[in-house]
Amino acid sequence: MANVLMIHPDKCTGCRNCELACSFAKEAQFRPGAARVQAYTWEREGMSVPMMCQQCDEAACVKVCPTGAMHRSRAVANLVDWTESVCIRCKMCTIACPFGNARYDAASSSIFKCDTCAGAPECVTFCPSGALEWVDDQMQVRSRKKAYAARFKDAFQEVS
Amino acid sequence: MIVKYFATIRTYTGENARQVDDPPVTLGPLLETLAARYGARFRRAVFAGDELSPEIIILVNGRNVAHQGRLETPLAADDEVSIFPMVAGG
Amino acid sequence: MFGWTGTILRVDLSEGTVTREATDPRMARDYIGARGLGGKIITDELDPATDALSPANKLIFAPGPLTGTFAPSAGRYEVITKSPLNNVIACSNSGGSFGPELKYAGYDAVIVEGKAAKPVYLWIRDDQVEIRDAAAIWGQDTHDTTDLVRAETDEDAKVACIGPAGERLALISNIINDMHRAAGRTGVGAVMGSKNLKAIAVYGTGAVKVADPDRFKAAVMASRQLIQAHPVGGAGLKAFGTNVLVNILNQTGALPTRNFQDGFFPTADKIGGEALAERHLKRPKGCFSCIISCGRVSRVDHPDYLGFGEGPEYETAWAFGADCGIDDLHAITKANYYCNEYGLDTISMGSTVACAMELFERGIITTEDTDGVQLTFGNTAAMVEMVRKAAVGEGFGAKLAQGSYRLAESYGHPELSMTVKKQEMPAYDPRGVQGIGLNYATGNRGGCHVRGYTIAVEVLQNGAVMDPRVTEGKAGLDILFQNLTAALDSTGACLFSTFGIGGGELAETLSALTGVEYSLDEFLKAGERIWNQERLWNLKQGYTTADDTLPERLLKEPIKTGPAKGEVSHLDQMLPEYYSLRGWDEKGVPGKEKLKELTLN
Repeated sequence: MANVLMIHPDKCTGCRNCELACSFAKEAQFRPGAARVQAYTWEREGMSVPMMCQQCDEAACVKVCPTGAMHRSRAVANLVDWTESVCIRCKMCTIACPFGNARYDAASSSIFKCDTCAGAPECVTFCPSGALEWVDDQMQVRSRKKAYAARFKDAFQEVS
Repeated sequence: MIVKYFATIRTYTGENARQVDDPPVTLGPLLETLAARYGARFRRAVFAGDELSPEIIILVNGRNVAHQGRLETPLAADDEVSIFPMVAGG
Repeated sequence: MFGWTGTILRVDLSEGTVTREATDPRMARDYIGARGLGGKIITDELDPATDALSPANKLIFAPGPLTGTFAPSAGRYEVITKSPLNNVIACSNSGGSFGPELKYAGYDAVIVEGKAAKPVYLWIRDDQVEIRDAAAIWGQDTHDTTDLVRAETDEDAKVACIGPAGERLALISNIINDMHRAAGRTGVGAVMGSKNLKAIAVYGTGAVKVADPDRFKAAVMASRQLIQAHPVGGAGLKAFGTNVLVNILNQTGALPTRNFQDGFFPTADKIGGEALAERHLKRPKGCFSCIISCGRVSRVDHPDYLGFGEGPEYETAWAFGADCGIDDLHAITKANYYCNEYGLDTISMGSTVACAMELFERGIITTEDTDGVQLTFGNTAAMVEMVRKAAVGEGFGAKLAQGSYRLAESYGHPELSMTVKKQEMPAYDPRGVQGIGLNYATGNRGGCHVRGYTIAVEVLQNGAVMDPRVTEGKAGLDILFQNLTAALDSTGACLFSTFGIGGGELAETLSALTGVEYSLDEFLKAGERIWNQERLWNLKQGYTTADDTLPERLLKEPIKTGPAKGEVSHLDQMLPEYYSLRGWDEKGVPGKEKLKELTLN
């Protein structure tokens, strides 16, 4: 049983508590622009979407890393891990990730990428609207699929 | 008597208002009758055990029942009762 | 410093200079930030006789220490200046994301002075500050301005700007940030326009530091739990928005109708939060760090009123709705969008239209004055058209954009303007709810509800239940709310967090963040200090006890229909006790003892 960080953009209110929680967890201060999760807002459309590392199985960042700093964790399922001590900050991972979910932070000289906070992701704790869910990978889409299935249940209940 | 429902209370009752003929003379029994009709969610919204829930706002003719005896609030046949969950704004 | 950034930015648009100064720690401790800090700067630096629309006025954008942290719903900032509407210290509060970005850029306040020779905008990127030419965006609405400014600065810059209404110095114009959030009241948009300042764009890469991270996190988690457990803060506001108040105020008999001619609007249910949720709501929205999400992303598909944006809030639905005798939510929402796009305060705008409607129905003005429009109560198309005209400054609309006091007075009937100290009263009828009437009368910025929101207790049962019809205990209630709110406003927290937490939680959170210990007493004392500071300024403006009053209508004309039929405001039964409890003399002047106690000279 292993968890994944599931994103539900339809529930995001754009509050950016996720960014604040992440920044605070890692640095004990609030520097949300440097968080590993970013919630982008489009004001005209009134839509917001949180984005963070998806811990790809076939991770592009792992493929290009020359030192193995980026690697699939052997200890934890569903996690692409980063070993700071062997990282040479070549930033190839930031170039390779097609989603832009790995970035280089000059202020701390680190690669910022979601590491799921050792299995207790702070962003999930702080999200007030359930837009971020730490869920068993077998149940990942259950809440959404079921929410839609319920509409059929309601519709059929009315006519039968 | 007309009983009006607002905000989430409407989801529990499935309607915005109900005409009640021959209402009981106090609020408590009226709410019991309505709870019997609408079910558990309505009951939980209006009652906390045997008391009026602190999270429900009930007005009789515009006055909060908290000032009229809560569940003992007297009712007349032509009264208007409004039931709100705690709401707010600015 | 922790919480505070320690730096204040000063921009002189006349000289084109930018300077930085250190935030005075003692001032920060005593006035907290935002409203209090900005008010202190105005008090210390501005000649009370300054013309509000002259270059000598100062326009301050100030977040609070909590702003930019994950203290629940703590993303607020204030715009502080001398108001051109009524000469008070205008502290206009707004949410969104602009305030936090000022903190990340490194500032506890941005003070704008002077006047630019031509339209400009300010671009603040951390410690790089530029005054840039705004010729290309002058005249644009707030949405387009935001996009255009971001295209020239940074696509993620947060933008606060005025629309055409502020450019024209309309006295009820506002400042819009993040497209849909407003520093709404007392004409702050006009001050920005008078400085030829179209917008401020800010982007910050810095951090807000925390003195005691463990203590702070614990305080925040505790506060969050209280708010989330609260029926309003936890679920109610997210489901229905503030507009849910329409029905409860109406059922209480205190929904001001047709320019406060009545207190009950029979078709109110058509314009309330339930109707909004059913017909126009797309999804809820939250400001920065907010866990309440009262914002409404909405759209109107009705062909006459097509539009997309945020809102309407309760005040807006009331102002363009019941106050104008209108029950068409499509039209109300459209009027709301006009106000956001063109930069007008919805409360003052709606109330001014209502005032014009009464002037028209009484024959004091005619279609000759109103550009041929039949401006009667209930005339939906006329209301929307008048708002549009006010927004663009066309014809009769230009008069409306100066607010109802100047409008009514120009036709010889100031008593028909539903204002206190020339600012329009919001959506609660003092005849049906006694305590809010006292708050309107004594509010430092005129007709205002948020600074002393006794409705929470008189109608909404938040924490306590007080009978709205009685005057007993209302003086004390008002003072408590006014003091607490002044302190809260100065921290950067949102007023709605008080659906859940109180002064104790705020004081603890503030202490843990800043490393400066505030007991609950000291926190409330800071609020009292800030309230008295604003009062002292008003006295210097020539305000007297005679101005701590309500329109005659509310004192003399009973509500005509509905549950509060027959009621009037009994302000005279509350005001003397209010002065006395505040430590003021019978003329409402703070006594020497009180000033000494608050370290105000």
